[in-house]
Amino acid sequence: MLNSVIAGLTSGGVYALLGLCVVLTYRLVAVVNFSMAAVGSMGAFVMVTLTDTGLNAWLALVVGAVAGAVLAALLGAVLVRWFGEHDERTKAAVTVGVYVALMAVGLRLFGNTTSGARRFPAPFDAPAFTVGSVVVPQSVLVSLAFAVLITVGVGLLLSRTRVGLRLQALSERPSTAQVVGIPAPRLAVAVWAAIGAISTLVIVLVAPRLGGDFSTLGKLINTALAVAMLGAFRSLPLTLAGGVVLGLLEGLSASLEAIQQYRGIVPFLVILVLLWWRSRGEIWDTAHSR
Amino acid sequence: MSGEILRLRDVSISRGEVPIVHDVSLDVVPGAVTLILGANGAGKTTLMDGIAGLVRNTSGTIHLDGVAIERFPTYRRAQAGLGYVEQSRTVFRTLTVEQNLLVSQAGKGDLDMVYRLFPELEKRRNLQAGHLSGGEQQMVVLGRALISDPKVVLIDEMSLGLAPVIVSRLMKAVGDLVGLGIAVLLIEQFAHLALEVGTNAYVLRKGRVIFSGPCEELRGADQRLHELYFGAAPATAADTAAPVARPVAQPVAAGTPAVPSDGPEPEGGTR
Ligand SMILES: Nc1ncnc2c1ncn2[C@@H]1O[C@H](COP(=O)(O)OP(=O)(O)OP(=O)(O)O)[C@@H](O)[C@H]1O
Ligand SMILES: [Mg+2]
Repeated sequence: MLNSVIAGLTSGGVYALLGLCVVLTYRLVAVVNFSMAAVGSMGAFVMVTLTDTGLNAWLALVVGAVAGAVLAALLGAVLVRWFGEHDERTKAAVTVGVYVALMAVGLRLFGNTTSGARRFPAPFDAPAFTVGSVVVPQSVLVSLAFAVLITVGVGLLLSRTRVGLRLQALSERPSTAQVVGIPAPRLAVAVWAAIGAISTLVIVLVAPRLGGDFSTLGKLINTALAVAMLGAFRSLPLTLAGGVVLGLLEGLSASLEAIQQYRGIVPFLVILVLLWWRSRGEIWDTAHSR
Repeated sequence: MSGEILRLRDVSISRGEVPIVHDVSLDVVPGAVTLILGANGAGKTTLMDGIAGLVRNTSGTIHLDGVAIERFPTYRRAQAGLGYVEQSRTVFRTLTVEQNLLVSQAGKGDLDMVYRLFPELEKRRNLQAGHLSGGEQQMVVLGRALISDPKVVLIDEMSLGLAPVIVSRLMKAVGDLVGLGIAVLLIEQFAHLALEVGTNAYVLRKGRVIFSGPCEELRGADQRLHELYFGAAPATAADTAAPVARPVAQPVAAGTPAVPSDGPEPEGGTR
């Protein structure tokens, strides 16, 4: 039981991180970003390619994050430059296109599920502490802490700093924001770059647990979008909580004999129920109006 | 006219593919209010959106303090000294009053300046702007323009849907902006009210300037104004601008004092 709670927490932290990246993109630049995990995977594979050649892991991580940032910034610049006037659906479609292209390129460069698994460095595999007989690895704490850090940090950035206020203004009224002198295109590209870097870090963090092949990592976007939905694509704390709860449910259902075989379906059912609840318009009313 | 801070020459503006404003030339001088008058659908808002860069200028030049800004994106026009109070009250609803001001702050603009002009805003500085009354929201928008340290402020129908006492309060504030040496370009549905504060006026019809001159010429001249707003345009202008025209069903607004309610006169008032 306790074992499965720990396992659930590990997945939960990861789910939360993935969802947060999607929600952040949507809140700040109003794009449902299907290419998030693929961009992060590109950055992650730049890193692992460098560590394979013997580069120091931390240095490689920085280079990988920069690569992820540049790739995302490029995508952001294209969206700002050529799709600025288009609606959210069109922009989402562009990111789907980019996702498909990146997956193809990634598979070609880095190999498929069977041939392409890389050994990602797993510096947080050591046990953090033990509860009774159960060992809690550091990675659980790291991913949870990272998720909390993003939630709290972005919250503070948005409400306490001038750049954050400008980002809020931009997401609320894009054209009026420009009317008051906010350099929208530059800010948007900067946001994209930051999200590219964060996505890379998230993917690097989860890669060791998931086998470390490009295809699996890039497809994490499915989970990410599902978790983002729990936060109504708006609320960071709800996304964080949603991700963790989802992970816990998965862990618990793995420990119960009766539903063990169906545990993959549990998150899906949870999302379905929540969406139905949301359509009844409770707490999401305010969260969803953007 | 010399000493103008904002200068338009032969500016044409389209929305999408539809040309709306045609060959407008106008000058805005510092320390005075310049009016843009015209019936609903004449293209006043489109002209301001074009000056601010929210819609495309298809031709012509726009100079702000000697700098050609017609190719600038919106935010660079703002940074060059252009403030814009848009037609609907465009506060950032989720930000507080003070945050609304802070995001727009630039140059020599500071909070005290705004709070001196609108003391009621200081009392509500930490309230979300979405919760303010319509008049207060308009004060925030005016304050936001002021704190950006502008050279010119464009104001589009500030009085829309507000009680007369609030409107005169806001008009007084506009007078204060002018007192600071800022140039104001004003669109106002209440022509009488506007002509009180204005120095020069331009009347638009179907996207063209059909009158320009000192406000005195129009003050109290209700018949003349009516002709300018609704009368038969010069034949050439009327034909080429036909797709732009929104049928004008009623005078500018119920109870607008400037416009008598008898039918349009078949005579152009071009000057
Ligand atoms: N997106 C658009 N595409 C095509 N035509 C438009 C568009 N937006 C506005 N128009 C038309 O442009 C014309 C001018 O509109 P505009 O809003 O500039 O008028 P206005 O003088 O500000 O009127 P009002 O006094 O009602 O505010 C109108 O005939 C309107 O129907
Ligand atoms: Mg208008």
